[in-house]
This record gives sequence, structure tokens and C-alpha cells, in this order.
Amino acid sequence: MKKLGKTHHDRMLEIVSIASDCARAGRLAALGFLPGRLVRIARIAPLGDPISIEMEGQEISIRRAEADLIVVREVK
Amino acid sequence: MSFADPPGPVRIALLGNPNTGKSTLFNRLTGLRQHIANYPGITVEKKTGAMVLAGRQVELIDLPGAYSLAATSPDERVVMDALCGRLGHRAPDLIVCVVDATNIKRNLFLVSEAAELAIPMVIALNQWDAAKRNGLRINAGLLADRLGVPVIPTIAKRGRGLEELKKAIGHTLADPRRIPRILWPDFIDDARDIVRNGLAQFDVDVTGPEALRMVFDADSAFADKIGHKDRVREILQSARDTIRSHGMNPASVEAVLHYRHLDALLEGVIGGDGMVARTRNSMDALLLNRFWGTLIFFGVMYVVFQSLYAWASPLMRLILAASTWLQAAVSPMLAGTPMIQSLVSDGIIAGVGGILVFLPQILLLFLFIAVLEDTGYLARAAFLMDKLFGWCGLNGKSFVPLLSGYACAIPGVMAARTLEDPKARLTTILMTPFMSCSARLPVYVLLIGAFVEPAHGPIVAGWTLFFMHFVGAAVAMPLAWFMNRCVLRIRTQPFILEMPEYRVPTLRNVTIRMWERGREFVVRAGTVILAFSVILWALLYFPRPESVAEKTRAAFIAAQSAALPAADVARALEDPASGLSVKLARRIDNAYIEQSCLGQFGRAVQPVFDLAGFDWKITVGVLASFPAREIFVSTLGVIYNLDADVGKGTDDLRAVLANEKWHDGPRAGQPVYTLPVVFALMAFFALCMQCGATVAVIAKELNWAWAAGAFAAMTALAWAAAVLIYQIGSRL
Repeated sequence: MKKLGKTHHDRMLEIVSIASDCARAGRLAALGFLPGRLVRIARIAPLGDPISIEMEGQEISIRRAEADLIVVREVK
Repeated sequence: MSFADPPGPVRIALLGNPNTGKSTLFNRLTGLRQHIANYPGITVEKKTGAMVLAGRQVELIDLPGAYSLAATSPDERVVMDALCGRLGHRAPDLIVCVVDATNIKRNLFLVSEAAELAIPMVIALNQWDAAKRNGLRINAGLLADRLGVPVIPTIAKRGRGLEELKKAIGHTLADPRRIPRILWPDFIDDARDIVRNGLAQFDVDVTGPEALRMVFDADSAFADKIGHKDRVREILQSARDTIRSHGMNPASVEAVLHYRHLDALLEGVIGGDGMVARTRNSMDALLLNRFWGTLIFFGVMYVVFQSLYAWASPLMRLILAASTWLQAAVSPMLAGTPMIQSLVSDGIIAGVGGILVFLPQILLLFLFIAVLEDTGYLARAAFLMDKLFGWCGLNGKSFVPLLSGYACAIPGVMAARTLEDPKARLTTILMTPFMSCSARLPVYVLLIGAFVEPAHGPIVAGWTLFFMHFVGAAVAMPLAWFMNRCVLRIRTQPFILEMPEYRVPTLRNVTIRMWERGREFVVRAGTVILAFSVILWALLYFPRPESVAEKTRAAFIAAQSAALPAADVARALEDPASGLSVKLARRIDNAYIEQSCLGQFGRAVQPVFDLAGFDWKITVGVLASFPAREIFVSTLGVIYNLDADVGKGTDDLRAVLANEKWHDGPRAGQPVYTLPVVFALMAFFALCMQCGATVAVIAKELNWAWAAGAFAAMTALAWAAAVLIYQIGSRL
């Protein structure tokens, strides 16, 4: 298990949990970053941050600092 | 509320995520019958428009785009407050939810939250064409059955589906239909009751949906309204503990339950693969590429900047020429009353010209912003640049406003509307006036040309000019960081950036955007700028005792008569076009400026600026430049009694400045303009908000308190920097 912000580009990942109950975690949950969903880092900005995450056919970009609130595991 | 007897017009709110085409739909429904204002006390734009529906007057409210009703700041609370009827209006009679058909589930999350309020709803399933292109097959009829409210496919950009939407709105007003509330598990109801019962002791009126928001949102802005911070926090803590005791995370429980509900509701509604379109992927691969993407980005930004900096200037010159022509045409008609003549010519016509002169840049910038936003490129640009700005509380979308600030702060401040995050928008607006706008350039050119170039050569002069362009930004960014850390304790929201589909912008949408911004600037900011212009005119005009002119005239004649026969002087002065007459007129003007409120004020505050090495003449020049810094060069021309029109060339002025010496005091006989003074003066111009129009625009975009605060802070900062540079420089 890893933080989403620390994972590599282009791996298929499953969200395990949201690691915080702060307001920012609430915002991510509202966007659909919820346990059980499959995600993938589709793109990384040239300067390394933010990262663009593909989820259920949608792409949404967040900063690594926020992505680190999301705990994921790799799926084969 | 029944449709039969509403007091006043029917109120309909437009609710939706960002990037759903909500504003386009709003424009389509209201045409140009729109009204833009600020919600009182906060910095969010309130956009309302009028339309007629089935013979009834309708007031349409375009709520700010949001992903959720959660709010941690008063700015974010606007959506919920408007829906609850807390902003001085009753709650809307109906909500039109704009849902992006390419992303139904996430968009319905907000709708599902709003369903809690039990207001009748109609769903506009917008961007229907894009959903089809992406291979989605959506059963809108089935979705309408499941939700229990009308679901109308629309393509707002092309005006498709609007008649059906209006018809559905009419039906729903007559026969209100609501989306059933989600059935909360008992522990959520318990948590809500803990909040409602707990808050009852404070004698506040909190509705069930608002209590729910306080349960779900950490740092809820709804709780801030109540006061009694510590006790309220305890109550909310115990409500959230109830959720924790059921093994759920209070930050995500709402989303988990809503999405579970939506998963069931959308079963069988959406078919097809819904893959991210292939063209989009290959475009992104190029435009977001480390090398090519960055290159294209700088290319695009170069064009935007050039257009503001260079292409707008012929139009701007034309507007100034027209205002000069008008001054010359009107003046003779009012020659009988010099005060009215001066008010109309120098106060009003110059003031209106000074407003209109910003229009070319504003229109051009909003042309580019509309095109960049509608094509979907602006979001990509923000993605590329975010890292550069994130550390100091700005974000990737700050780039365009800040870049525009290098041409002119006014369109830059207005462009900050593209930032959805209120805190980042606020910070961007406050940083923009620090960018080295084109009006600072003449001041730098004059001073560097007169003092740096002769002493150190053209190469050093060139580098100095280059360096001066970054002084503001170099001071502003750490200041932004500091403000975000220590002063502006607004809670940070995550930076969320959606990459919209690539689209071809429509002429209609682009024109409406340009028209809206242009009109808004002229109507809302223009009136304030005009008032500033008239006030400044008065400060420079009054008091105006006749004796000043007589004394100056007598002294002038005496001085001239020493060199020429008195009769020649008298004859020359008979002719108002003679060299001597023009010279005398300038002397009198100058004497009046010295006598004016501003001139006297300049002398009075000179000791304050003395610490930066400024004499009273520089001080008056600096003060006179507060409404518009570009005035500085011409004001110096008047103050130093230059006979030639300094607008035409600054060579004379340079020579005069270089020879200017202190007349009295401890530095008598020494030159006024030493290098420390010159750099102190340039630093002052770099950091000071000497632009009445910018103050007015910030007041309109945020509020007067922020505008006044920014003005005071920048003035203090500029003064401190000037003093520091002079004091250190003169000791080296």
C-alpha cells in the first residue's frame, strides 16, 4: 500500500482508503476518490506536479500533496 | 411556493459543477439582460439575468460552479446560502441543475446533495453532443424516471434543447417535482440531531440540511456563522464521533453514501464504453508534453502578451488622440468660465479618455481568455504552470492574470475571474498590481537614461531596465507566501483541475464574454475612475487666488525686462501665441500647482519622503502620480518649468534633472538626483499602486476594504523600500 502521490506513472491502482478526515479529504471524496475505485496516473506535469489521474473514464488533475491523502494498492 | 402567486418574479437558480457549460446556458437563456454585482461582504460575483417564460417574469441566478455544497469559507458558502434563501432573497422556486453528460455520475453528486433541500428541479443534460462523440449512450428517459424530475438533453453552446428545457421548467413550476432525498442511515440522522439540538441553545436558526453540512464538512463555514467557537466545535466533534463509531470516515461518509445511491440509480442508464476520446489523448500528449507542451505554452503566451503590449497601442493612442481633440474642441466654448472649462476639459474629458483607453487591452485579453478557455487550452496551461505558483498560494491559473499585469494590471485583475478557488483568486488579484505594467516603463526609461546610462554605459542600463521588470514579482511572490501563511488564514482548498474536451469556440460566446467584460469595466469601474479623475483635478486646481497669477506675471515681466526692452515684452505678451506668452502661461500653471492642495500637501509630507532622498519637487511628482503613474514624467516637466512639450521628448527633462541641485538645507548645492535617489525612486514606482483605475477595479472585483488595504500596504511597502535603498545606498 502506498500514497497515490508517491506511485509511478501508468500503473493500475485501487483506492484502499482516504487517510484523513480533513476538509481537503472531503473534497477529494466528493470528486469520487473513494475506496474500491480504480485509478491510474495518466500524466505528470513537466515540473513534476500536479498529476493527472484517470478514474472511470475521466481525467482530473490534483497536486501530489492532495494525492497523498489517498491510499492505494497496485492491481495486477 | 405555488406558481399561482409568487411575490415578484419567479426565481430560478442554475446549479452545476465547473466546466459544464452552465454560464453558456445562462447566456443563452438571458441573452444580454444580465446584472453582475458582488454578494455583500464576500468576493464572489453575483450574476443574475431576466427572462420571460410562459408570460411570467423570471429572475435567473447563475450560482458559482461547485463540485459540492461543502464550504469552508464564506465565499464557498454562497451556493448553499443562495439555495437556502439566506442572501436577502427567498430560496429559489426551482433549480435547473446543469449536468455534464460526459460525466454524469460525478455531476449528479452535487445534484444529490442539493436534493436534500427539497426544491423542485429540472436537469439539463448538457454537452450531449460530446457524450455521443465519446461513445456514451445515455437513456435520458430512464434517468428522468429514476430521479423523478425532467431530464432534458441540451447543447447550450449551439442553443439546442433550450425550448424543451424552458417547457420543462414551465411544467415543473406548475407541477413541482423533486428528487427524493437520500435515505440516510440512522447514525447520520443521529449526528444531525446532535448538531441541531446542540445548537438550539445559541438561539440560531439552523435548518436540517445546514446541520447536515456541519456534520459532513470539517472546518465548516456554516459553523463560523454561529460564533461560540469552542462550544460549537465540541458539538460538531461529538456528531462526527458518532460517525466514527460506526467505522466511517466523517470526511468521506457523505460521498460514500451518495455515490452508492448513484451507482444503483444509474444502473442501466449509461451504456457504451465512455473512453476518453482518442483525439483528445493525442492532443494532450502533444500539448502537455514536457518539451513541446512547454514550447507551445510560451508561444501562446507570447502572442497574448504581444497583443496587449503592442497590438493594443494604436487603438489606445487613437482613443487618447480623440480625447485630446475633444478637449481642444470643447475648451473654446467654455472659455468664459475658466473653472468649468478646466473641469470639463482636464477633469471630465481627460477622465473619460482615461477610462476608455483601457478598453482595447481588456477586450483583447478577454478575446484570448474566451478562446483559450473555450478550446480547453487554459486548463492545460494551468496544469503546465501550477508548480511555479503553488508554493505561494497561487495556482496554475494565476499565470494569465499575472502575465497580463505586465501590460496593464486592470485586465489582469479582471482575468483573475478564471480562478475558481476564492483564496487563489484573491491572492492573484493582490499580486497583479506588482507586475511591472507598461505605464512604469516611461519612468524607468527616463531615470535610467538620465543617470544610469551616462554613468555606467548602455549595457548596464539595459540590464537595469530588464531587472526593474522583475522587482515587483520578486517582492510579490514571497509576500504572497507570507500572507497565505500568516495573515490570510483562509483554509486551503485542494487545487482541482479538470481537463475539458477540446472544443471549437463559438463566435457568439466569445463576443458575449468580451462585451460583458468591456461593459462591466466601463459601467462599474469607469464611474469610480471618473470620480477619481475629477477629485484629482480639484486637488490640483484649488485654491486658485488671482494674486498668484498676478505675482507670477509681475515677476516674469520684471525678469524678462532686464534682458529685453519693456515695450517688446509687453508687445509679445499681447499675442497669446508668442513664445513669451506660452512661457508665462506655463509659469503661472506651475505657480498654481505649487499653491494647490496637492502642491501644499507635497511640501507638507516632503519630510516623510526626505528619508528616501526626495526633494519637494519629486514628492509632488510622486503624489501627483498616484491616480496614474504615467503622469509622473509630464508632471516633472511642468514642475521643472520646461518650455518644450515633454511629451515629445525627454532629452530636455533629462538634462534638467541631471543639473537639479538642492537649494537649501543640509545638502545645499549637491545634486538632487544621485544614484541612490534614482534607485529609491524607481523602487517606489515598482512597488506602489499608483493607479486609481486599478484601485477601482480591485474594489469592484473584491470590495473597497481590500482595495484600500492593498493601496495602503503597497504605498507603505514602496516607501519602506525607497527609504531602505536610499539609506543603504547613500552610505556605501
